[in-house]
Amino acid sequence: MAKQDLFAGIEFLKAGGEELLAQFARSHRGVLYADLRFEAVFRRSAAATNGEPRHGGESETAGFGVSVHAERSGAIGHGYCGAEVGRVALERRKLTTAIRAALNRAFERARLNAREKSAALKHLGAAAHTLANGGLAPRPPIREEVAAVFRHDPRSLSPDAPKQLTLDASMAVRGLGREIAFNTVAAMSELRQEIFASTEGSLIAQGFAFSEGDCYVVAQAGSGGHQEIFDTIGQQRGFEALAEGYRDELLPSPDLRTFALQLANEARELACAPVLKPPDREVTVVTDPHFNALLAHEVVGHPSEADRALKMEAAYAGRSWFLRSIDDTEIGRSVGSPLVSACSDPTLYGYGHYRFDHEGTPGRRVMHIDRGVFSGFINSRATAAVLGLEPNGSARASEVYYVPLIRMSNTFFLPGESAPEKIIGEVDRGYYVVAHAIPSIAESRENFRISARRVYEIENGRIGRLYRSGSVIADSKRFFMNVDAVGNDLRLIAIPNCGKGQPMQVKRMSNGGPTMRSRAMLGGG
Amino acid sequence: MRELVELKRFARAAAALVARDPEVGQFEIYCASSDLRIARLNFTSDIPCRGIEEMKSNGADGFQVRIAKRRNPREFGAAFESGDLTLDAVRAVLARAHRAAVIDPFFPGFAGGARAVRLAAAPGGDLARAGDAPIVAAAWSIVRGALGEFAHSEAARVSRPRLVVGGDLTVLHDRIALVSSNFSDVRGDESARFSSSVTALIESLDAKGTASAMGTRVAEMKRAAAHLGRDAVNRALTLAGGARPGSGTYRVVLGPQPVAEILNYMVIGSLTTGAFHAADSAYQGRFGAQVMDSRLSLADEPAMRAGAVRRRITCEGLPARRVALVRDGRLVGLLSNFYDTYRLQADEDRAEKLGPGADGAPFKPLSGYRLGEGGARSHEHAPASSGTNVVMKARGGVADAGLIRTVGDGLYIGRVWYTYPINGRRAGDFTCTVSGDSYLIRNGKLAEPLAPNALRINSNIDRVFRRVLAVGRRSHPAIVWGAPEAYYVPALAVNALEFSAVGDSLP
Repeated sequence: MAKQDLFAGIEFLKAGGEELLAQFARSHRGVLYADLRFEAVFRRSAAATNGEPRHGGESETAGFGVSVHAERSGAIGHGYCGAEVGRVALERRKLTTAIRAALNRAFERARLNAREKSAALKHLGAAAHTLANGGLAPRPPIREEVAAVFRHDPRSLSPDAPKQLTLDASMAVRGLGREIAFNTVAAMSELRQEIFASTEGSLIAQGFAFSEGDCYVVAQAGSGGHQEIFDTIGQQRGFEALAEGYRDELLPSPDLRTFALQLANEARELACAPVLKPPDREVTVVTDPHFNALLAHEVVGHPSEADRALKMEAAYAGRSWFLRSIDDTEIGRSVGSPLVSACSDPTLYGYGHYRFDHEGTPGRRVMHIDRGVFSGFINSRATAAVLGLEPNGSARASEVYYVPLIRMSNTFFLPGESAPEKIIGEVDRGYYVVAHAIPSIAESRENFRISARRVYEIENGRIGRLYRSGSVIADSKRFFMNVDAVGNDLRLIAIPNCGKGQPMQVKRMSNGGPTMRSRAMLGGG
Repeated sequence: MRELVELKRFARAAAALVARDPEVGQFEIYCASSDLRIARLNFTSDIPCRGIEEMKSNGADGFQVRIAKRRNPREFGAAFESGDLTLDAVRAVLARAHRAAVIDPFFPGFAGGARAVRLAAAPGGDLARAGDAPIVAAAWSIVRGALGEFAHSEAARVSRPRLVVGGDLTVLHDRIALVSSNFSDVRGDESARFSSSVTALIESLDAKGTASAMGTRVAEMKRAAAHLGRDAVNRALTLAGGARPGSGTYRVVLGPQPVAEILNYMVIGSLTTGAFHAADSAYQGRFGAQVMDSRLSLADEPAMRAGAVRRRITCEGLPARRVALVRDGRLVGLLSNFYDTYRLQADEDRAEKLGPGADGAPFKPLSGYRLGEGGARSHEHAPASSGTNVVMKARGGVADAGLIRTVGDGLYIGRVWYTYPINGRRAGDFTCTVSGDSYLIRNGKLAEPLAPNALRINSNIDRVFRRVLAVGRRSHPAIVWGAPEAYYVPALAVNALEFSAVGDSLP
């Protein structure tokens, strides 16, 4: 294996990973299933604050995770072990030793779990009858390779490129004047190569390029008003997407400097705007694609995760308003007006695009809401087995050493036919809600309060005064039922930081939607 | 995991190599080794499940090199490597740190202090040596306890009780070693702790109860596991048939978990030098001023004997010491790391950002930690300001029953969820939902339970911490999901919090 390149670990495991698993399975009695994931990541990054350089970074990391299902005492247990190995991946012998040790550790954990489960079944009898043997929904083995897409390989990117880009952007923001109390601009470009091998005969190698720019601005006005804004642009492309912008129909983004300036100007304008004093009654709200991205994320995407719906996240991220119990779900029932449709689709280009999930299942479009009717969950192989469905390729980990969880991909509201101008023009009195800020969602996502960056009055079909610190408060189902117009302006937004699981895994994805009109209460400051 | 002695030996060797680089002026070598082991609880009485989802872990060893250049002490770079603690790796990382370097006119160098730091003996802890078996056994003990308790209840007699037991048992063990051109010694630290948070839902009763524990010893973990599942189910059973009060302003008792959650998401981030420099602290311009009720004090206590998070040195090599944040309601201190301390000192708008009460306040860098997911010390991260054991103490505290009497008629809020700064951190506005463990208070006593997820709080941190009617006498441990800190806080009786009634037709 060539020195100084952790990506060579991919080639080594492509050739020898399956045999490593097969040897392990042969030599350990009771192994029912095992898989191995390995990943190498090269990342170059930089940040500038208030027009001064703050950080430069170059890292090359590697890690792996192994999952083992084993039988003991008539029960099946599961064990997992992940590790960051870095330059250990440079040497086949050391990498093989580390993976074997992890497989042994995961195997022992699976056996310990199986033993305890068996004892619980004996001790508790009928009370524990749902302690199933945890099968995986079947799917055919897959052998494929998917290359990362980029014009500028992150590994050959000059160290100075992200430094200069962030510095220029941060200086430009500072140059807007003293109303900008603080700004920080960060850029990152990375290449990820990962491999998945399983004892069922799958061998999948996938590459991803991610480039992401973040900007945080604090503006304050002489009147005492202040505004903090954080936002992100991201593309599954090389650094060119940040330096030049990326013109894509679904997920367009400006270059990082333009983006930072737009955000700073918005913060400046908002700091001078009055705080929204909300009416004490439900009002007509027109929500834009950026706001609807967070709505799709929190109120449709998360509750459409089968692990959450099956109560596996009840102690953390909560449950789902789409499933009360296994035989009382919203599937086939109306949860919105016929104008509302939503799906997760990893096959589309977006920040959440992929071909295969981290269980080796092909990703595909899953309709969550089809013309107002709830139609399905994104799932993993284990949850698909519980639900009696085919796995739909939605189990992914944020880093290779973590277990895959069910995750959104590109999750969004589908477009309608109305022009956004028409949707606003039809409103006598109402509010135009632009760009999401912070969500607060009830435990099953059955209601929400999502704050917006900008809220405008609409009077006689025209956009009027701007307010800050506004938020939309609604019962989820009621909000969707009241949707009476959906725009033709679908946009996806890069979401860089969706948290889920224990330990918290922070995942990248896309969310979005078109302009929509409904009714809701508004909250203010 | 690497032994502490191995980390120290490597740090010393790496320092010798980096010191020979003629371009390097100052440097710092930081090594960390961590093992995070988690048993996820997942029992559902009406859905096939695994009981324990899986016992899992992620381990990470590695080091980070930070350098400041000889030609310009403001030019600094950092890079890290995982897994490989060899001199070859140091050479590769050093080259990367050079490439990553930027000239930051405010870079103050690395933390220093020529004198060697004498540390008390490392906190004993058999948890650090515990294998997987006691963790798996303890996790199953929680599940068995919950199921056993539930089986004896009336609720178990219905055909579909829909019992859900979730949560986890987490064991975190980390070690660090650090050497710097500004230190005369190699400094090391080690800690191990467990935490467990258990949620029991009885969906047929629309009831939710929780229980949690933290500690540093195997025996504590076993003792906690023996009762946590039972406790969570018992609480859920007492919360059946919850009331759904209407929207309005209520006098409330906030239990320890809501107080910890509000502190974590709304207050602690504002009590850092970085937040004041960024002009986004909720206490902007109010340093030295009364920001909480005068009976309340808040501090970070890394050496707290009963604390779950034990730190003897920071991740910048400085002795970890208590930081008083709020004393008798006045804002008197901030969490800080080395960079942010000096950055705020050099901030030309410092006086305006801090306010008139900050004249000469030093803000020592006593809270610089490099934490990864799960709160483990990580070689990949840059130092940031973070708490350890966040302790709120109350003067003139009363028993919890006294808090309820003080409220008279109102609400007892035992658990909230999804607390966020709805209008940005500086505004101090927050919202969250009441998710369980909560009651109506009538005539000074706990009355009917509240249904989970039926009320949303829409308020502001000043209203919580300045409209205090009475404070609890005892500080209770509280866990906040995803937070690296452990919280030890009393319950508070608060005069008027705004609630809105939400969702009455869902799970």
